[in-house]
Amino acid sequence: MKRVNPVTRGILFLMGDEKRQRITIPILAVLISLIVSSIVLLVMGKNPFEAFASFLQGSGVIPKRAYGAKQNMFTDFLGLVDAWTPMLFASLAVAVAMRAGYFNIGVSGQMLLSGFIATVAVGYAETLPAAVAKPLVVLIGLVTGAVVAAFIGFLKTKWNINEVVSAIMLNYIIRYVVSFFVKTAINNPNTRQSWPVSEASRLTLQDVEIGGLKMDIPLGIILAVVAVILVQFMFSKMKLGFELRAIGGNPIASKYAGINVGRSTILVMALSGALAGLAGVTYYLGYYGSIQPDVLISTGFDAIAVCILGNSNPIGIIFSSLLISVIDKGSTYLQSSIGVRAEIASLITGLILLFSACGAFFAYLINRSRQREEDTKNLAAGRQAGGKEAQA
Amino acid sequence: MADEYIVEMRHVTKRFPGIIANDDISLGIKKGEIFALLGENGAGKSTLMSMLFGMYEPDEGEIYVRGKLEHISSPNYATKLNIGMVHQHFKLVSNYTIAENIILGIEPKRRLGLLPVVDIKGTIEKVSALSKQYGLEVDPTAKIENINVSTQQRVEILKMLWREAEILIFDEPTAVLTPQEIEFLLQIIRGLRDSGKTIILITHKLEEIKQVADRCAILNRGKLIDVLDVATTSTQTMANLMVGREVDFVVDKAPPRYGAEVLRVEHLTVKNRDNFPVVKDVSFSVRAGEIFAIAGVSGNGQVEIADAVAGMADAAEGTITLNGQDITHMSVRQRTDLGMSYIPEDRQSVGLILDFTLQDNLALKTYYKEPFCQKGILNRAAFAQYGDRLIGEYDIRSGQGRETVVRSMSGGNQQKAIVAREIELESPLMIFVQPTRGLDIGAIENIHRQILAERDKGRAILLISLELDEIMGLADTIGVIFSGELLKIAPADTLTTNEVGQFMMGVKQDEAG
Amino acid sequence: MTYVNMIIIDGLSFAIPLFIMAIGGIYCERSGVTNLAVEGFQGMGAFTGALAATLVSGFFAADSQVPMVIAMLFAFLGGGLYAIVHAVLCVKFKANQVISGVVINILATALTTFLTSEISTVLTGQASNRFRLITSVRWTVPVLSDIPVLGAIFTNVYPFELIIIVVAVIAWYVLYKTPFGMHLRACGDNPHAVDAAGVEVGRVRFLAVMLSGALCGLGGICFAYSISVQFSSAIYMGYGYLAIAALIFGNWQILPTLGACLIFGFARSGGTALTQIMELPSAFTDIFMTLPYVVTLLLLVFFSKSNRAPRALGEIYDKGKR
Repeated sequence: MKRVNPVTRGILFLMGDEKRQRITIPILAVLISLIVSSIVLLVMGKNPFEAFASFLQGSGVIPKRAYGAKQNMFTDFLGLVDAWTPMLFASLAVAVAMRAGYFNIGVSGQMLLSGFIATVAVGYAETLPAAVAKPLVVLIGLVTGAVVAAFIGFLKTKWNINEVVSAIMLNYIIRYVVSFFVKTAINNPNTRQSWPVSEASRLTLQDVEIGGLKMDIPLGIILAVVAVILVQFMFSKMKLGFELRAIGGNPIASKYAGINVGRSTILVMALSGALAGLAGVTYYLGYYGSIQPDVLISTGFDAIAVCILGNSNPIGIIFSSLLISVIDKGSTYLQSSIGVRAEIASLITGLILLFSACGAFFAYLINRSRQREEDTKNLAAGRQAGGKEAQA
Repeated sequence: MADEYIVEMRHVTKRFPGIIANDDISLGIKKGEIFALLGENGAGKSTLMSMLFGMYEPDEGEIYVRGKLEHISSPNYATKLNIGMVHQHFKLVSNYTIAENIILGIEPKRRLGLLPVVDIKGTIEKVSALSKQYGLEVDPTAKIENINVSTQQRVEILKMLWREAEILIFDEPTAVLTPQEIEFLLQIIRGLRDSGKTIILITHKLEEIKQVADRCAILNRGKLIDVLDVATTSTQTMANLMVGREVDFVVDKAPPRYGAEVLRVEHLTVKNRDNFPVVKDVSFSVRAGEIFAIAGVSGNGQVEIADAVAGMADAAEGTITLNGQDITHMSVRQRTDLGMSYIPEDRQSVGLILDFTLQDNLALKTYYKEPFCQKGILNRAAFAQYGDRLIGEYDIRSGQGRETVVRSMSGGNQQKAIVAREIELESPLMIFVQPTRGLDIGAIENIHRQILAERDKGRAILLISLELDEIMGLADTIGVIFSGELLKIAPADTLTTNEVGQFMMGVKQDEAG
Repeated sequence: MTYVNMIIIDGLSFAIPLFIMAIGGIYCERSGVTNLAVEGFQGMGAFTGALAATLVSGFFAADSQVPMVIAMLFAFLGGGLYAIVHAVLCVKFKANQVISGVVINILATALTTFLTSEISTVLTGQASNRFRLITSVRWTVPVLSDIPVLGAIFTNVYPFELIIIVVAVIAWYVLYKTPFGMHLRACGDNPHAVDAAGVEVGRVRFLAVMLSGALCGLGGICFAYSISVQFSSAIYMGYGYLAIAALIFGNWQILPTLGACLIFGFARSGGTALTQIMELPSAFTDIFMTLPYVVTLLLLVFFSKSNRAPRALGEIYDKGKR
């Protein structure tokens, strides 16, 4: 009789059933990528533990050895949150579409256009008070993103144009058009970027002095947390969420159930785009403060993988996007503390995303070996029973 | 003894996770005979032959071909042993020509200057010759996407012959054909046998076996029941063995009590994606307490009628009236609310969301109404309560009750769930399309009882089925469809099975009269 | 040099590397594997090529063209090898092909940026985030280049344009005339038919993805030589998706895709010429750069019926399923 390997059994036990695998598999993906990154670091002659600690120190999760004037762990952490906010919105944007079975690969473009329009419309209106400017920025971001993405949904519904293809085309159209204006109309010749937006319109309060500390306060995170809760509520408790999940599960059966699939497609893309728009304004008018020409930031693409890592679940996405932001934000400190290039951060991120893309395969492996284990058991049980019958 | 058989299987067993598909099967097939494999869905016929064709390997047991023990590890190796198979779902490349499909995998080459290229021209000539030789005429330069199903089947047969197959396996070859095409195919099969080929025919249709087969093996739930000589065995005996008990072809049925007209379809025309009319000027009506059944060979437009009535397909012309209200241009939701239940043909890709739980699927047509939903917010407790009630009342079996993901349920229980959901809508009109497809006899009888019970409650029932037995057993009124037209509408008791069969083949009323 | 000449010369030198990348995309997609990873393949291929050229450059005279040929060879190999990641994810691991493509692009950017800085710093001894390449020679065919207007086609030609055209012809021959090509295209339409014909779908697709990577890599290094005479991760952004637009425009067929690439190339060089003629700020080229994407989008809107993606594109092939 075949024995099941105890190591396999141990792994199977740890990974748990299908429900638990939703959490354990992403963790496994992260672990594997950290192991691979450790090997890279060792090859470079660096201590991987020191490196990982630097990520956490640089992003204000654990304390550094020393801090500059008016800085401490909390100010670093606020810096992390500042960078995290757009990533959280962007990942949420991808997740909303993904749950309904669509890829919003156009998040980066939607972010850029929202950021651009908000910048032009509000960012340079010096006379607007903050209490008007900030909500206006948020509103413009929301609407712009929603309109762009709804257009993608419309193309899908009306002419059955693959949403991935049209989103990519729109990404580049937006990139070039915005670049044109950034280089011509609102160009700051010194930085070769757009002029920085006004204090009043900026969603991250800059250099606020509180208790002897100088900090950047990202207001957008409040919105982001609200968005996470709303999205989670929508999918688990609302009729709309039920319908969107139904379309993601089976569009034909959804039509059969009486759901207006075309309208819901446009609606879900608009929702996704609205979140992408919020990612855009919290990035361009919050974290960054101006617009670089000729660049489509990678946030929207990273968000797709972050969403996979977080299982397209709003709560899961909080953790996966935070992880990616920690690595990104901590990389600068890594360079200064142990002299590893900051670029290694994007390498580690890339690896995490790569292994999270393999998640389905891990699940397949786990469930296959579990099936084998059960088959072996059943077979053995069957043989025993058979043997007894024969004896009797 | 072994020399007598061209193929012999000894103690072959094949398991899939959680199921034994073939259990210790031993049988022999003689050279030059037509050997039929008879059994219900899931009896293990296709699995057994897939092993002969190298798609699976047996877990236990041996397969001998021409007296020699063989480990058939791949279809390629089966081809080397001159074994060929026509699968139930054709395996053709739609944007390739017939000739290209035939040579795929064993392309003949010629030289163009120094470079070797696939020899398409030479192939075309040879394919023409081969098709003439066996009476399977095709145009080798036609693309698969432009030819009809029966021609595609000819291409599949030619593919086998091109590979010089001596043992030809046909997996349910008549399922997609019209009666005439079936006749033609059976003739071809006889011709192939007469030219020395060995034929293995997988089917669940007794008449076909009676017509062409020499011997017949009967499988039930993975076990070999018997191997019979077809000429000396009655159809009834074969049927009983196939099902494993006495088959009662007759359904107990009370006399109908008709009420008011519920559904009226007038001059309905439905077009397919290529703008070709697949339903042509069809008119009929269904009364409360009546089972109106549409009989016809698959692909003659009957499913499109159901889809048009249910709102899944657009009506190009004509009107559909439900309880006196014109619903021709209403949405699916409006029709459901007005009182329509629909059990679709394809339960997995239309009737269910496989990754949803059972309770969510049970509420798929009611989730937006009270008590399931108030002001856009779902009431989960109502889902659970409703789910539990239906699971109990309709005996839906699953691993984790209402929380079971439907994908993991058996086909029979999936169908029970759909039927439960649709019956609970208490709609005046119920549409059943192929309600028993792929189910075993017990489940079929259960569904039949439910359909009759609904009729007796006074619902109007539109039944569409490819199984003539089912229609003859259940219907009060029969409409026969052929090529998109309703050729005959008459009370069921004025028609014999034979007459309906004739209309299904397209014989017009006056000719049959 | 007249503007017409400039449009033709620059247009061709952009369209031709784009064309070979689009062919790479076609190889992958016609086998049934969605390829959003064109850019990643391009980047890793170009990186490998540029690294090889940098390493061997010491053995050759400063103006020798041999390192460029070596770079092209290694770009071909590097792209092909990196494509194994996509092949493993999509074919072996049955991962979602869109996600795999996106991840591969992200990883390629990260890898090339990181490795270029690391290696370049080691090699040159000073901080640098790029590989310097030699300037490519440009050929002018004597008599032919004197033909009015069309002579520009034979003027100031990069040697790689010729190499690419040869490779493209071979790629066309393999795809449409050989058994392998027949299997590849069949895999994109009905993999079950290929399997039933005794050909392993996984192997065909794996090879197709690798070839795709190789062709994209080749295109990538050519861009490095024509656009900037150096390699850094910044030089290839966006061209991968442009190649995808071209192959959709070309309906997944090689010859129409050449047409699409030429249109894109001339739109680009024409735009540049126009801004010069009208003495507009150079930023106006950005407006012309949107043309390929706008045109492709419009094409999809108006010809969505006749534009047909491979039938099995993006479908995960599972032997057991029917």
